[in-house]
Amino acid sequence: MAENNSIWDKLFNMDRRWIFLLMAVVVIIPFFFKMGLPINTTDEVEGIYNYVDSLEQNDAVMIGFDYQPGTMAENQPMSEAVMRHCFARKVPVFITAVLPLGNGLAEEAIANLTDPDEPGTFQRVRYREWHSYDYGQDSLPSRVTHDQLVNLWERDHQLREDAMGWVFEGVDYVILGYAPLFHIVLLGMGRSIVSQYPADLYGNPTENMPMVKRNKSAREVDLGVTVAGSSAVLWWLTYAHESYGMPIAFGVTAVMATDYLVYLQSGQIVGQMGGLRGAAEYEVMLKRDGYSIEEGKAFRGMDVQSIAHILIVILIVVGNVAYFAGGYHRKGRRLRAGR
Amino acid sequence: MRRTIPLLIVMVGGIMMMIQFFIPHQISQAVFGLYTDYVPVIAGFALILGVGSLTRVHYHKVRRRAENWQYSLLVIFFLYLMPVFGIILPASLGGQAEEPSVFHFLYRWVQIPIQSSMFSLLAFYIASAAFRAFRARSAMATVLMLAAVIVMMGQVPIGDYLGKWFPALGLWILRHPNLGGKRAIQLGVGFGILATNLKIIFGVERNWLGGAGR
Repeated sequence: MAENNSIWDKLFNMDRRWIFLLMAVVVIIPFFFKMGLPINTTDEVEGIYNYVDSLEQNDAVMIGFDYQPGTMAENQPMSEAVMRHCFARKVPVFITAVLPLGNGLAEEAIANLTDPDEPGTFQRVRYREWHSYDYGQDSLPSRVTHDQLVNLWERDHQLREDAMGWVFEGVDYVILGYAPLFHIVLLGMGRSIVSQYPADLYGNPTENMPMVKRNKSAREVDLGVTVAGSSAVLWWLTYAHESYGMPIAFGVTAVMATDYLVYLQSGQIVGQMGGLRGAAEYEVMLKRDGYSIEEGKAFRGMDVQSIAHILIVILIVVGNVAYFAGGYHRKGRRLRAGR
Repeated sequence: MRRTIPLLIVMVGGIMMMIQFFIPHQISQAVFGLYTDYVPVIAGFALILGVGSLTRVHYHKVRRRAENWQYSLLVIFFLYLMPVFGIILPASLGGQAEEPSVFHFLYRWVQIPIQSSMFSLLAFYIASAAFRAFRARSAMATVLMLAAVIVMMGQVPIGDYLGKWFPALGLWILRHPNLGGKRAIQLGVGFGILATNLKIIFGVERNWLGGAGR
């Protein structure tokens, strides 16, 4: 077939390296010019937010870091948003991971939420630090709550001025971490958390931790949030929700979101965060209710995603205009192999 | 014997776990507790098998100087280097206890950027694929293209500016036509899994036995 060098031919057979270059430009530019486009919240994300917002310090949430660094751009803001919400509401958080790499991501999320250089973060106290501290004449209750511990701790310690509050390891959160065959671990936690995780990620015995004493098994946990880049979310549904009734919420990547909406409609999950948009919606609600002083990475990332989506739509329009104007629909001409 | 014993173990174990699930008796719960304690231990041995198998495959590639054998050498090197820094030498780069360990450094500044970079390439390939694939070649292709554009614009805040109906229509597509299709597929898959499980438990399906199953 003879090559035609009309403008439509050139557009129709555009070298994909131009597309790569255009995409690179449009994803970089919004980092320099903040657009801050407002985001409307959806029922899917509000379901999780309202559920967490109804919990108190006697309740508990279990968050699964069920993703790898590959999807952390989408998943990490979800985990951090839910954890921030729990910390602000003083709801204890159990952290697990389906994959070994989830341990490091969980540590990173905690480090970000307790970064002393960032205003609006929390001030972390490690387990060994507060557990072995000498409280004088007062003895530390074995099932000490967050508020009780704050009263004791603040006698000798000052909260950072720009901090949102204290976060005590073992009272407000514990990183249980990765365990092989996690679906079996989920089943086992329905019997006893300590039986599956005798120690946390740092080797601290979990049986001594107040939050574990108050929530001995996963049956006593009020919400499981699995943030995942894989179908591991279904393990939570099958083995935690269906086996012993733990309410479940999903945080999944955008490409997975369509797969799991069925569980939302059937009432098997309380809500779902889909992709960066889901995380951004959660961040918007956190700021609205004063749980954070500004939106996080997901909200900022939505500017980039907006421009990238517009570029893709423009490319689709250009491709179709070239398809019809170049006469490809009549002649049955084919585009050259992608370069 | 090589075939009968594994088949018997699977059959007895499978039937026992099925019965256990529906009987909340003390003995049944004790059996279940024992099972959940033992299985992760057994899974630990699978890790040894996996590391051994990976080492063997890449070792042979290096020994035979197969194509791209250098990558295999790197795989072996880092496969054993990370546990060394994680378990045997959990020290920091500067030697101070409060500094992050070498393992953490490699994880944070090598593994995370590599994996994130690999996944971020998707944006570029999706843009290129969308340009080439979403063409109105037929009525069905046009519907697919329009649905993709509406859902894409409905997912980003700029879609609200272009028209309030973008997000509403995008959500409608996700919540209704998408849901119907997905549910049909997932029910099919679910019944398929159930049938396959029963076939394995009762010894009808024996492919998992490998050569011994023939």
